[in-house]
Amino acid sequence: MKKLAGIVVFTVGLILLYGVSSLDDFPSWGTPDSPANKSPLSQYFIKNTIVDTEVPNMVTAVLADYRGYDTMFETVVIFVAGLGIFAVVRVFEHGGASRVVTADTKPDIIITNTCRLLIPLIQLFALYVLAHGHSSPGGGFQGGVIMGASFILVALAWDLDIALKRFSEKQAFICSGIGILIYAGFGLASVFLGEEFLNYGIIHKILPGVDSPEMARYYAMLGVEIGVMFTVTSIMFLIYGLLATRGKMTAGL
Amino acid sequence: MVEHAPVLLMVVPLLAAVFCALLGLRWKALCLPLTIIGFIAALYFSVITFLQVSASSDHQVIYFLGGWNASEFPRGVGIEYRVDLLNGMLLIVIAAVALLAAIFSKQFVSMETPGKEPQYYALFLLLAVGLMGMTITADAFNLYVLLEVSSLTSYALIAMGSRRASVAAFQYLIMGTIGASFYLLGVGYLYIKTGSLNMQGIHDILIGEGLLESPAVYVAFLLIFVGVWIKLAFFPLSTWLPNAYSRAPTATGCIIAPLMTKVSVYIMLRIMLTVFGPEYVYDELSWSGPMVWIAVVAIIAGSILALGQKDLRRMLSYLIIAEVGYMVGGAWLLAPGGMARGESLYSTATGLVGTGYHIISDAAMTLCLFLAVGAMIVKAGSSRIEDMKGLFRKCPVTMACFVVGALAMIGVPPTCGFFSKWYLISGAFEAGRWEFAAALIISSLVNAVLFFRIIEFAYFGKLPEVDDAHGHHQRHDEGGMEENPPSMLVPLVLASVALIAIGLFNKEIAGYLSQFLNTVAMGGQG
Repeated sequence: MKKLAGIVVFTVGLILLYGVSSLDDFPSWGTPDSPANKSPLSQYFIKNTIVDTEVPNMVTAVLADYRGYDTMFETVVIFVAGLGIFAVVRVFEHGGASRVVTADTKPDIIITNTCRLLIPLIQLFALYVLAHGHSSPGGGFQGGVIMGASFILVALAWDLDIALKRFSEKQAFICSGIGILIYAGFGLASVFLGEEFLNYGIIHKILPGVDSPEMARYYAMLGVEIGVMFTVTSIMFLIYGLLATRGKMTAGL
Repeated sequence: MVEHAPVLLMVVPLLAAVFCALLGLRWKALCLPLTIIGFIAALYFSVITFLQVSASSDHQVIYFLGGWNASEFPRGVGIEYRVDLLNGMLLIVIAAVALLAAIFSKQFVSMETPGKEPQYYALFLLLAVGLMGMTITADAFNLYVLLEVSSLTSYALIAMGSRRASVAAFQYLIMGTIGASFYLLGVGYLYIKTGSLNMQGIHDILIGEGLLESPAVYVAFLLIFVGVWIKLAFFPLSTWLPNAYSRAPTATGCIIAPLMTKVSVYIMLRIMLTVFGPEYVYDELSWSGPMVWIAVVAIIAGSILALGQKDLRRMLSYLIIAEVGYMVGGAWLLAPGGMARGESLYSTATGLVGTGYHIISDAAMTLCLFLAVGAMIVKAGSSRIEDMKGLFRKCPVTMACFVVGALAMIGVPPTCGFFSKWYLISGAFEAGRWEFAAALIISSLVNAVLFFRIIEFAYFGKLPEVDDAHGHHQRHDEGGMEENPPSMLVPLVLASVALIAIGLFNKEIAGYLSQFLNTVAMGGQG
């Protein structure tokens, strides 16, 4: 069996090598002449992103506007991951036979106090990463992961029950759903205003203080990134809780 | 609102799924109605979309998400939905199958996955959303994202069953993830060579810049094809399927078995005909010889393995592997040079019509059989074929529907199974591939043996006799009729009526498919 696997891996490697073997066929690493770089699409993004959307960071504009529909479903993938793990591992125990063994050690004073100092900073940084995604690397996914990590840190430093008091399982579920509703809501708002799904430009009609479609795209992108952050934060925490406690969602570690 | 139907058919069930997960936390009873409403909306919008497609002059409806339309911006700046006659029909099939499976699930979900109904129905809705998204999209990367949605939901839906189901789901997860990675890698290669992710855009660049002989494009096709091959459960990469499908919770089996492999066949067709184009796949690659032979092996192997099964659901799972062989074989029947450019593809590719037809009819047949078997297992108390004794007397309607499904699977005339097989066999004759025609006929015979054995058990089989206290033989529940509840019978009867309807409308369906193939042969622009 091991030999067979070896042969398969070797063959796949050979096929991949064959694909890049011919120098005049496969563009060399990082060359500006590659079809991907020369194509009308890349040229369009480089020239027009700032014109269309007022967003300096092209990656964010492609992610959240030009291909915003993909990103909506990437958020759904995160949501599905949370739902799926809940569906598979969550166990409901009504004071049954197997009592949960709780560790009777007290939270360490050094660790908890360091976390007390760190967690607000981590959360602020998460919001910064979210809000600054328009002009620097960042956005809802990254911000959401950092925010989720701050809740996980609470669970690690104290225990999961303390963390769940601040952000309960139910709240996490609701927040993760709200994230998708925010994203799809921006899409549906454009439909109700008479344009295509996720055509944010039209939202300037209802957004106070915004008079151009470009700025509407700018703010709508921030809006959907906030939605992404809701989902990612809560699902990160939920998955941690479920896996760390084998689906019991209590005490933990 | 009509012009937004292509996107609403995705968004409404998506919202229903989110509301299911949220409101279900408090009101569990809301989940099933929400699911059914979501699927009715999806069905409504997909019918509207199909009507628009068949009414339009070039037989397609194009929807640009985010308004990045191809007339003002380069094609592929945004994501494009393109519904033509093939995927238009498939969208209706997906929505209808999901709706019937959801109605059927009422009895099972609270029994098999207690306490997790909201999550179950949310995943159920999202699975259908993923499948519809893969079908409707005209963007190679968007397809991958929706592939992730549908795969993750199906892993979870399978694993929610028993402990053995989670082992099967894990096996499926590993295989499915490898398949999806291959697909993504192939799309990456294509992007490096063409700089586009739009399916039509990739095709235009491949033809326009003469990239058909490029090794990188060849590797891209190979990677994408192997990725889809795993998802298809095409022999020999089908080992994950029987366990995953036969151990899944009943309602999960009823939606995954009819749809998952069929949508994968559609993706294979789409990749072959739209992304790479018939001139690449049939003339440049010329894999027709070996591919049809592998299909022959798949059909024979699936049928023989099905013969050896004692468990009813497991037997059906092996039959799916054989059916996938039908469809893949039909798609590859066209020999190199079989299509001159500009010529109608239909006049030379009856096998492709057969494949398209069989996607639709196999989805309906598998749905009918899985629903019927789910209902029979409830009555028999076990899934072993021997335990089906006396079921005709106990639940005649259920068994009548099972017989209709069985006849369709065998290929008896008024049902759809006959017509799709007819097109496949005439395609095989047309291409001179006698081995494929022989395999189809052998597999039909095996199906006849399989299903008549079950029908015999259920009709003539005597219920076990019990000795009462006085030593007299006494049959228990002699003649007692206990039919299944309407929530199970209604979808089952509808599914079996659909089998006959799809068969009766064979002229229309084949006509739509040949129209679709003509568009493909003209370069996809209509």
